[in-house]
Amino acid sequence: MAKAAPIPGLDSDTRFGDAAAAAVEVRAGEVFAHSENVLDMSDIERVHDMRVATRRLRAALEVFATCFPKKEHRRVLKDVKALADALGERRDPDVAIEELTKVAKKLPKADAAGVASLAAEHRIEQEGGNEWLAAALERARDTGLEERLAQLAASARPVRAESDEAAG
Amino acid sequence: MKARRVKGLNPETQLDENARRIVGVRLAELRAFAPKAFDASEVETLHDMRIAAKRLRYVLEITSPAFGPAAMAAANTTKDLQDLLGEIHDCDVMLPRVRAHVKRLRAEDTERLRASAGGADDLSPKAARYAPNRLRYRGLEALHAYLSARRAVLFDRFVREWEALEARGFAAELEAGLSPAPPAPAAQPAEAPL
Repeated sequence: MAKAAPIPGLDSDTRFGDAAAAAVEVRAGEVFAHSENVLDMSDIERVHDMRVATRRLRAALEVFATCFPKKEHRRVLKDVKALADALGERRDPDVAIEELTKVAKKLPKADAAGVASLAAEHRIEQEGGNEWLAAALERARDTGLEERLAQLAASARPVRAESDEAAG
Repeated sequence: MKARRVKGLNPETQLDENARRIVGVRLAELRAFAPKAFDASEVETLHDMRIAAKRLRYVLEITSPAFGPAAMAAANTTKDLQDLLGEIHDCDVMLPRVRAHVKRLRAEDTERLRASAGGADDLSPKAARYAPNRLRYRGLEALHAYLSARRAVLFDRFVREWEALEARGFAAELEAGLSPAPPAPAAQPAEAPL
């Protein structure tokens, strides 16, 4: 499992809103960094890593909810949840197949057939889960989820007055 | 399970102040499941407790830079608890799947053998030899027994580990670790030389 990246610049006296922006930026970056080749069913760790990254992003969105504009936060969180659900639809059969295969290997050959038949049932679900995930990734792309997350993160930072900008 | 709302959060105030409130609520949420979760048949409660552990773990992970090693150590402890409850949950999900699968195989066999009777008035015992799934039941029964036993072993471990955490004063330890440092004592004026 991929370790969570540290969130730069956080300490006890960081403004809560700034911490929110930094946390969502880093965690969103992790989600999309793990999306590469996630549909490749020969390497189930990719889905696992992206799912964990999505959970961490969701946690950041929930922990810092109060720092974001309500409406956009709700929309983005809903889309992140949908992505997490799709990852779960792929990951759950991945895990089940792995566990069943482990048990089947330890059983006498004659007894393994039954366990293999259950694993076969999970393989069908795995295929379905992969299709679901493909659609969810496409939806995330089409709705600009990555960009919307970046905008949401930025909205938690204080708005600088125009005069400050001009003076700066 | 819906997370309890945390009151008094403010984007303009410091991270540690807000994080302390969130951790306090999430910790209480987790501990509230403890008495009910000691009943092995409380599948839903154990599942909800896992979700509560996950929420506490992630808030500790995110806010650990504000609190230092105490928060990270607590996040690791919570992750271990979450993983253990996750393993129990996996057994709780797989066991009914095994039973449902066996049920389907039985129905399929019954249907096939019944069809093999054609229009006959009775069915020969020999027909049992031709049940298409007859070789699958043994492995599935063994799998069910294994999963039931593993679930019981993991549940006993969960109870032991939770009791050890409570005995150690995990919650108080965490709360103390997140408390603001006491103000430094005021500097004493240097004594005048005699």
